[in-house]
Amino acid sequence: MPTILTPEEPTVRPVPEPKPEERLRRDRPSLGDWLDLRLGWWGFVRKNLDEPMPPGVGWWQTLGNLLLTLLVFQFVTGFALAMYYSPSPTDAYRSVKHITEEVTLGSFVRGLHVWGSTVIVIVTVLHILRVFFWGSYKKPRELTWVVGVIIFNLILAFSFTGYLLPWDQKAYWATVVGTRIAGTVPVLGHALMLLIRGGEEVGALTLTRFYASHVMLLPALLMVFTGLHLYLVRRHHIAGPVLPQKGRPTPFYPVQLFKDAVVVLGGMGIVVYLALAFPPALEAMADPSGTDFAPRPEWYFLGLYELLKIMPAGYEVVATLVIPGGISLGMLLLPWLDRSPSRHPARRQWIIVLGTAIILLIAIMTLKGILETPPPGHGSGHAGLPVTLDRPLA
Amino acid sequence: MKNSHDQADASLDGQLKPTRRRLLGWLVAGINLVVAGVVVGPVLGYVASPLRRKAKSEWVPVLDEAELPVGQTREASFVLRIRDGFAETDQKYSVFLHRTPDRVMAFDPACTHLGCRVKWMGDKDRYFCPCHGGVFNADGKVVSGPPPKPLEEYPVKVEDGRIWIQKKV
Repeated sequence: MPTILTPEEPTVRPVPEPKPEERLRRDRPSLGDWLDLRLGWWGFVRKNLDEPMPPGVGWWQTLGNLLLTLLVFQFVTGFALAMYYSPSPTDAYRSVKHITEEVTLGSFVRGLHVWGSTVIVIVTVLHILRVFFWGSYKKPRELTWVVGVIIFNLILAFSFTGYLLPWDQKAYWATVVGTRIAGTVPVLGHALMLLIRGGEEVGALTLTRFYASHVMLLPALLMVFTGLHLYLVRRHHIAGPVLPQKGRPTPFYPVQLFKDAVVVLGGMGIVVYLALAFPPALEAMADPSGTDFAPRPEWYFLGLYELLKIMPAGYEVVATLVIPGGISLGMLLLPWLDRSPSRHPARRQWIIVLGTAIILLIAIMTLKGILETPPPGHGSGHAGLPVTLDRPLA
Repeated sequence: MKNSHDQADASLDGQLKPTRRRLLGWLVAGINLVVAGVVVGPVLGYVASPLRRKAKSEWVPVLDEAELPVGQTREASFVLRIRDGFAETDQKYSVFLHRTPDRVMAFDPACTHLGCRVKWMGDKDRYFCPCHGGVFNADGKVVSGPPPKPLEEYPVKVEDGRIWIQKKV
């Protein structure tokens, strides 16, 4: 018999579960019953599987689940990498080289982690765009959005701190520039840079700071905010399409869960393919004295990199702080900036136009940066220093 | 409408007076703050320890005077034993030396924009930064691009036929 579900009244169970007391009175409760009486696990699982999906919810709503899965896998591969990694300037590079070249499946596991981070950034952006254009951040889901923006920033912090860990030329110089960006903050800049670097120069203390943040602080924060995000998503339920569609809500299981599983399979397939087809590169070891290396950040920071190029002298703080800070703040405050009660894009034109313009600008700047990226090998390495690479760079 | 706390207060009337109840609540909050502070305070100081470190200056010989004719610019490298946190390492550094008729100038290769290492192009008589397009002339002055100030100049002395620079470590 089909169950009638509405968002306000989530679940009417077809067959009522026997009450715990009744089950307890059974002569021989099964192990499952025994555990369930203590954990209440099945109630929790059923509640989530029966979560009502408004009509019109479909493939676009699978991105969050994909993101969650990819993040869990980052944790697993990150744990594996940490077992062979040593965070010191003398050993970091060698340990990553050891992982890549000698440890069984090391290149693959590192590839999953490196490509996983890239795919996570892409999926996060798609997830944010979906919520933005569907207007799903509106009352009562403002805090779900705010927590999501915090998670997005945590993901970028993960990527920034993780980028240094291999301690190769690319890692080192991208961090020199990236941390110097903090130094452009008025008044507090120098102190901020010292705090991030752990000293005047990028060195041993920068590496340990980044490592400790990457494997302890950020994962802890990510877990807290992801838990909060999921709780809020379930508390307020999925927003559904902009214009309510005819039909009755359906339970999350099995249709939507199946779509989620298909997307997770596809997403993981892409990460595995990338890890196998393009094994992670390792350039020459970091050389702080080198004047022969053209540093470039990870591709998703290339928009900022291009912005820094076009800023006139004395205005770099506009590119380093005002614009990125403004976008972040604007994202955090979005539910209160866009006060139109309607979720329909046509009824909140200014925010849609502004958002689209910002997205296009970031896309154009990033594309410009990607097109100007020199081919692999060019500009890397340092004259007079041995560059030992036993395998071709991806 | 009464909220659940008020109702709880009412039901506990006779056991604990509301003021006493509130006082104990504040005391619990205070104790928790103290307990958290005992850990968080020292940890913050610990993390901020690099702010207290004072840099020392050291004179280092970087090149024989005879190797730098007037009007020329060249890169010299030198090794300094430095303390890098827990590690004591031999750190290699580079410096650009330029000789005018009256003096020797020494420039830190870090671009004053965001710290990429500039490169000297002798044929163009300019320093170029590979990152964001900063250009400096032989005197270290900004010619074009985003750098906000000239290349940082080290104090220089010429002694015993060698060029020395004063470097903060």
